[in-house]
Amino acid sequence: MSDERRTSGGMGAFGAVRQQLARLREPHAPLDAPTWLRVATFCLVAGVAALLPLYVQPYVNFDLSMVMIYAIVGMGLNLLTGFNGQISLGHSAFFATGAYVAAVAIQDGWHYLAVLPVAVVVTFVLGYLFGLPALRLQGLQLALVTLALAIVTPSAIKRLDDFTKGQEGINLYTAQPPEWTGLERDQWVYLLCLVGVLVAWILTRRLSTGRIGRSLVAVRDNETVARTLGVRSSRTKTMVFAISAAYTGVGGVLYVYVVQFVGPDSFGLVMAIAFISLIVVGGLGTISGAVFGAFFITYVPEWTAGINQAAAGMVYGLSLIIFMFVMPFGIAGLARAALRPVVDRVPGKRGLLSGQGAPTVGGRSAAVDEEELVGS
Amino acid sequence: MELFLQQLLDGLATGALYGALALSVVLVYRASGIVNFAQGEMAMFAAFLTWQAHTWGVPLVLAIGLSMLIAFAFGAGVERVLIRPFGTTAAAHLSLIIVTLGLMLVLTSGAGWTWGYLTKQVPPVFGEGVVDVGASAMSRQALGIILAVAVMSVLLYFLFQKTRLGLDMRAAASNPESARLSGIPVGRMLMLGWGLAGAIGALVGALAAPQLFLQPNMMAAMLLYAFAAATLGGFDSPVGALIGGLLVGVLENMAGTYIDIIGNDFKQAVALIIIMAVLLFKPEGLFGSRTVARV
Repeated sequence: MSDERRTSGGMGAFGAVRQQLARLREPHAPLDAPTWLRVATFCLVAGVAALLPLYVQPYVNFDLSMVMIYAIVGMGLNLLTGFNGQISLGHSAFFATGAYVAAVAIQDGWHYLAVLPVAVVVTFVLGYLFGLPALRLQGLQLALVTLALAIVTPSAIKRLDDFTKGQEGINLYTAQPPEWTGLERDQWVYLLCLVGVLVAWILTRRLSTGRIGRSLVAVRDNETVARTLGVRSSRTKTMVFAISAAYTGVGGVLYVYVVQFVGPDSFGLVMAIAFISLIVVGGLGTISGAVFGAFFITYVPEWTAGINQAAAGMVYGLSLIIFMFVMPFGIAGLARAALRPVVDRVPGKRGLLSGQGAPTVGGRSAAVDEEELVGS
Repeated sequence: MELFLQQLLDGLATGALYGALALSVVLVYRASGIVNFAQGEMAMFAAFLTWQAHTWGVPLVLAIGLSMLIAFAFGAGVERVLIRPFGTTAAAHLSLIIVTLGLMLVLTSGAGWTWGYLTKQVPPVFGEGVVDVGASAMSRQALGIILAVAVMSVLLYFLFQKTRLGLDMRAAASNPESARLSGIPVGRMLMLGWGLAGAIGALVGALAAPQLFLQPNMMAAMLLYAFAAATLGGFDSPVGALIGGLLVGVLENMAGTYIDIIGNDFKQAVALIIIMAVLLFKPEGLFGSRTVARV
């Protein structure tokens, strides 16, 4: 008797856990925070982030700079994969392009800030050119081609050793702070990255909402219908590919500022998969997700380095699988669920919920969720 | 001419391996409609198992057989546990790509964790030495690889074309709904497909290990060539995968030898170019079936 009760109690607890897990898998609509709250949060975060480097150790500044660089990449990749549904496993190639353009130009005597627009243009054009054939490729095929691109990148860099110095890589001494600022190098580079990530945030917000954002999501969810409704799907897809590549290129340039070294083996398959882990863990089709994911891929290798050389890869791999099973909308999805009750109470909301950027994973769109909310 | 012939023979030997790995990619694609990005790493892991068993004193051939069995079970298990919960609709593709990428990473780092990143020496299955083929020579191992892949292909051909089980598997792959209605256990057939793919991969891993030197990242490039082979042959055609593999092997060797800009280091670009070119100009490949999209 008592045995039976214990079993049924166990089942009950198990059932409750299952229910909780099932709730994690549900899609969540974007938090529709009132404008004043969003602007205030943005200013607060930006303000704190701007003052932070003055008070912490240099190595913390370098780590946080890397977080911001990855966040920029994540936002670009999320525009492409999360919002537009084109899978790219090869963004490490664009990152490498940005980094090498910067490194080679700086070595040639360019000013380190002058290489930034050059790298943006180069990666934008490269992304555009790569996006043209990508138009004809669907899902799996695009994944294949971009994975191939990621695998080939290091050997391409070694092959072009006239420019890239091949295996040996390029060492630089760059991004020195101007005298008048009185800042240390780590603080200066941190602030450059902060400017980059803030601009990227605003730009991504612009691109992922409103008319452009809606057309991105429409093309992702049903291209034929989108086309019928007047979305120029080919132009949208190539443009978002190019823009996303340019984001990644900027990330590459900033990486050179921080690391002051480029070598072919940094830009291999591992980096490509780290980028995918970034957007999956952070949350596909969200902007804040890129930041969460960036923290993840910056700090996981550091925390696991003491355990084993292979531990970081193991954590990335396991988290890809576990997140897909347990919380396919990533940390951003979780944050939305947690913050919704609070945000919903804040006064000053704009009427209807806007549907842009609702993530889809496995065909279930958060938009469905919203319709119910609007109806109620 | 002699150089040409030599390159051709070398290309065929590596091509047979690409073809076999492509075959396992194709088997999975036919069963579940997805590309298993972890296929190469599953083969690498099995090769490590072979090596481990061999260093513990198990005869090499028996060790390969054992690791093929384990790889079969592992492949079937992966289908059941990681793949099936997502379903096979196109909407699940992104999730499945991410899951197989995750598996790829888990296997690479798992092997690195267990056995380290130093290369291991694996003895060639078919012994040292060379065999004369006309004016050129071929290592016993290369010739053995071609023969082993040929035997395996013939066996698979019999399985798929001449047995009831093979018919069931084909039915489950080509029309799951109707197959289920005629009493075929579709789920089990899918597991079988993944299992076979795993076992073939294990064989490829063991055969390739002596040349590539066994280490956790050994299959990344190989998988790239296998993808090129499968794309060239047509993703849903097993025969296409084998022929595609031979073509890719020969092309890669020739390009490395005769085209200066590619040279020996940049041969991987050949795979990328083949994949791009085929997908753009003849997306169904040489032997694949055309698909028509319906709204």
